[in-house]
Amino acid sequence: MKHSKRRRLDFLFQGVITITSMIGLFLLIAIFAYVFKQGSGLLSWDLLTSDYYATTYDTYYSDQLGDEVFEKPSHLDESVYFSSKWGIGFSTALDNEGKSYMLIAYIDSNSPLRILPDKNNEGEVVEITENQALLKVIFTNYTIIMSSEGPENAANLFDAADGIIDMITTTSGKGIRGSIITTLYLIILTLIIALPIGVLSAIYLREFAPKKSKIVEILRRLIEMLTGVPSIIFGLLGAAVFIPFTSTFTAADGGNLISGALTLAVIVLPVIITSTDEALKVIPDDFRQASLALGATKTQTTFKVVLKSAIPGILSAVLLSVGRIIGESAALIYAIGTAIKDQIILTERSTSLAVHIWSIMAGETPNFELASAISIIILAVVLVLNLIVKFIANKLSYESRTS
Amino acid sequence: MTKIEFNKDTKFSMKHNKKTDRIMQNILLIPTVLSASFVLMILIFISQRGVAPFLPSEYGNESVNFLRFITGVTWYQPPNSYGIFFIVVNTVFVVALSSLIAVPISVFTALYIAKMTPKPISKFFQTIIELLASVPSIVFGVFGLGVITKVVLWIASIFGLQTAGGISTLATVFVLAMMILPTITLLSITAINSVNLDLEKNSLALGASKMQTYFKVTLVSAKSGIFAGIILGIGRALGEATAVSMVAGNAGSGPSFDLFSTTRTLTSTMLLGLKETTGLDYDIRFSVGMVLILLIILTNLGLNYLKKKVGRFS
Repeated sequence: MKHSKRRRLDFLFQGVITITSMIGLFLLIAIFAYVFKQGSGLLSWDLLTSDYYATTYDTYYSDQLGDEVFEKPSHLDESVYFSSKWGIGFSTALDNEGKSYMLIAYIDSNSPLRILPDKNNEGEVVEITENQALLKVIFTNYTIIMSSEGPENAANLFDAADGIIDMITTTSGKGIRGSIITTLYLIILTLIIALPIGVLSAIYLREFAPKKSKIVEILRRLIEMLTGVPSIIFGLLGAAVFIPFTSTFTAADGGNLISGALTLAVIVLPVIITSTDEALKVIPDDFRQASLALGATKTQTTFKVVLKSAIPGILSAVLLSVGRIIGESAALIYAIGTAIKDQIILTERSTSLAVHIWSIMAGETPNFELASAISIIILAVVLVLNLIVKFIANKLSYESRTS
Repeated sequence: MTKIEFNKDTKFSMKHNKKTDRIMQNILLIPTVLSASFVLMILIFISQRGVAPFLPSEYGNESVNFLRFITGVTWYQPPNSYGIFFIVVNTVFVVALSSLIAVPISVFTALYIAKMTPKPISKFFQTIIELLASVPSIVFGVFGLGVITKVVLWIASIFGLQTAGGISTLATVFVLAMMILPTITLLSITAINSVNLDLEKNSLALGASKMQTYFKVTLVSAKSGIFAGIILGIGRALGEATAVSMVAGNAGSGPSFDLFSTTRTLTSTMLLGLKETTGLDYDIRFSVGMVLILLIILTNLGLNYLKKKVGRFS
């Protein structure tokens, strides 16, 4: 009787624990499901390559129009209305806020509208391309197209006209090209700064440091303490030290990419040191002794034998660092700033992908779609990097077991 | 047997070799000292900036009253009164609640992964937890604002309560719990795996059931390691900024223990409303940073003391 009660209790506990441990899996799936549901619609090549800020072009067409008749390409469907006189096609599209606008869906490569003079800058030209929005056209016969007119009407009016007094188009904007470039810059700069410092520190601590030295022990503890520092505190370090530092030595005035990279370098430093140290630790002493016995110096042994064997560990360090850099937000908000830019200059502000999300979410009207689309990119990169690191680690432990 | 011949040069070069090694040792000391110096730099320079708002020599009549700063229950009253006491209370409250949620889930998950499933499944679940650990804070923020606040709204509607779009203490607690769950789980797995298997076998041999063994032998033996994970998780939670700022709502005054009203943590105070990069409103954020560092250090010391005491009674 008592026995069966205990079994029932056991079963209950087992059930509770099993269900509880599904929560982690459930959360991961929920996060993925949410960002994919919100963001996948926006995710496109266009998003990755276009500017964040829309540029408006103001142009006209005053030349004599040729007799060429353009044909509607067969790949365009019913929703695109084509003007055979001008070689341009229009359709209706929805912007990020869900409002409809008139899109230039197709423009023939020989269309007279392809290259037009810029009204705002004398002597300059404007390139009209696909995916620009058509805001307003005034023709020489004084008919006017507004954005709300609808594509069918627009195509008809274009066919009826012979010249354009004023045509205003705008690029779509809301792209993340600038933030992608910033993120790449930050990754490269940070690794250039942090990798040598981190690897050399690890080599010193593992290979060269005198054993049982008090000072070395203190250095080790200080480096370990870096891992427990929250990223926003690193941000304060960037604002208090690296921004003034870069402002003194470069043309920078305020937060910039270099101060951001320096801050990130401090953040990934413990990652690189720990990971390299782990790799150095598992290299058998036989390697070192064999090299030393052959007459190599400790320096030669370390840099030609030991370091070579530690390369997979250093590679893991690099990948983990890249993941950390891509995901970092709080530190960069302080160390660089939150201004989204399209033109990326090292000594000026711009946002990494993560800070881009912060910028569009922190305002009055958070843009969930764009934030989720960027989140998908960040998640994909970070998760793939982590899986590769795990794969390397597994392989290494397998090799060290079998050798 | 081959005879090894030493010529004069060998001896010289060995001496020379030692010299290059010594030089290399000194060169390598430079990056090491640099790496170690950053923690000190953080302490020195943040303190320097953080103390400035209270100094009449820096801000003259505008300088902030320190006593009012550490006892205040309203964040900002123009022109120069700042109060942080309630923020510290709110932060501790939010972090305490989130660890209350995260710790049992984490320990159960760790037990499941380490003991209760066959290897492939346990590996799969461990990978899932590791992936969850690598999800960046900003993504948790987007998820928090997009989903967790909706969940809070739904809970509030069940109880017939009002909440500002779900942006609330409870949402902050949920988001933090999600974020520290993987940390505590992973350290608990290590702790549970390092428990001597003989202990468990002895317990089973004495007739205890598996569950009794897990709870009364395994977890008790792994107590110290699990506690280390909890300390790490709580440290993370205290310093977590981006995701928390997105769902906390930055209440102007407090302390508030209402789960459905907005709250303000130290980190959300530092991150939100950041516009100028000079002046009092900017420098005071360094003071908040100082308080945050102090809180993290004190919490760590306190919990480590507790860990020692808990360890002693086992």
